[in-house]
Amino acid sequence: MSHIRIDLEQVSFGYEKEQTILKKISFSVKEHETVGLIGANGAGKSTLLKLIVGLYLNFSGSIRVEDIPVEKRTLSKIRERIGYVFQDSESQLFMPTVYEDVAFAPRNYGLSEEEVDRRVKEALEAVQIMHLKDKPIYKMSGGEKKLASIATILSMTPDIILMDEPTIALDPKNRRNLIQILNQFDHLKIIASHDLDMVLDTCSRVILLADGQIIADGKTEDILTNQKLLEENSLELPLRYQFT
Amino acid sequence: MSKINSAVREIHRIDEIALKDTWLVGLHPLIKVLVTIIYIVFTVSFSQFQLEKLLLMILYPAILFILGEVSFREGIKRLRIILPLVCLIGIFNPIFDKREVFIFSDFVVTSGMISMITLMIKGVLCVLASYLLIATTRIEKICYGLRQIHMPAVLVTQILLTYRYLSLLLSEAGKTWQAYSLRAPGQKGVHVKAWGSLLGGLLLRSMDRASALYESMTLRGYQGEFHYSNTITMRWKDVVYLIIWCFIFLVIKYI
Repeated sequence: MSHIRIDLEQVSFGYEKEQTILKKISFSVKEHETVGLIGANGAGKSTLLKLIVGLYLNFSGSIRVEDIPVEKRTLSKIRERIGYVFQDSESQLFMPTVYEDVAFAPRNYGLSEEEVDRRVKEALEAVQIMHLKDKPIYKMSGGEKKLASIATILSMTPDIILMDEPTIALDPKNRRNLIQILNQFDHLKIIASHDLDMVLDTCSRVILLADGQIIADGKTEDILTNQKLLEENSLELPLRYQFT
Repeated sequence: MSKINSAVREIHRIDEIALKDTWLVGLHPLIKVLVTIIYIVFTVSFSQFQLEKLLLMILYPAILFILGEVSFREGIKRLRIILPLVCLIGIFNPIFDKREVFIFSDFVVTSGMISMITLMIKGVLCVLASYLLIATTRIEKICYGLRQIHMPAVLVTQILLTYRYLSLLLSEAGKTWQAYSLRAPGQKGVHVKAWGSLLGGLLLRSMDRASALYESMTLRGYQGEFHYSNTITMRWKDVVYLIIWCFIFLVIKYI
């Protein structure tokens, strides 16, 4: 039986005691599954992703990644298995060149320089930006930065990928390119996004969050075609359904 | 503040020079760090009356400007703020030390004047040497070199992160200034009433971005120390470079 899975049970969290952002969230995601996390601004999507990766630990309930509980003592094990792509690529890229940034994680895990080089090249090839390997980060476009930030986590060879608004600020061509690349990945993926058309193209399952609670959890087509449900939760039908 | 944006561009330009494919850039960072330290030690060690020997030490930055293909004009332009400050060192020496050394066509040259000039030259040369090191060596490589000479990891990481956070802070400051100036047309500078909220906002935004960056690092296995590429190997030309400079410095100092 595969252990690549994420399990959340009755997870509640608030940045401050009197303010609860997430309320009793429970769901499981299995290997190869791609789940879209949707909801209005402030629904708790980004917070939920950060909880899974252990950036906040003062939650109640239980989060398990590959059967490992998310706790302070297990963080390094968990973070080796999860790649987290930030909403803002600028926050992810801080080394002078793309190569150095992609090599950052493997070097931290003490790999040999040959292995680091192999992983960096594989990661860059996977997102089709090998030609940018020596380019300074500040000279890159938004689309290139997004692909580079994905490469930075691919070099960790994670089992799980979490992405926060991956298509934000991308032009249509870069967005389409990103969707194609995401669809080639076989990992367990959770994608938090407002871009419902992208969710439709990449995710087989959708979890709808509102006010920190799960409102719906089901097949992408079922949820993203339910106009009433989406509108009740400050969302709209994906564009392709609006004109049909 | 266009000055802020140009400061960010300056940092990027210096980074770019350090990425150039020149002979000097290709040298082992440890050697470059060592030669710079040795140069600074030798420069500082000259007594206040060894002016002529000190002038010979100009040879090092002069050659490095050529080998590193670093523009002298741009270098001086970049250091225009720090150089006058360096020149302030010893500015009071002529007042306190009025011992006559020699008379040059009715002009009495005092020991204080000579020591002031010596101190100024020392300061300028040390700053130039540090600039040339930064301009021809990427910050990560400098830090790698510093770790090789067993400088504490905490200190080296501080240097590296300060350098990285500096451009982050400046870019946040640039955005804050743009947002302010677009809503305060015709105003010169920032109104005194706005300084508090502007600086507070800048601090919070910078902290926000810095913590996001730190989170991104910890999520990729960072545990307090940077791991540098260990493919940088020491070659004969690196050792020869070190020996030649040490020899030149010794000749200038003792002969």
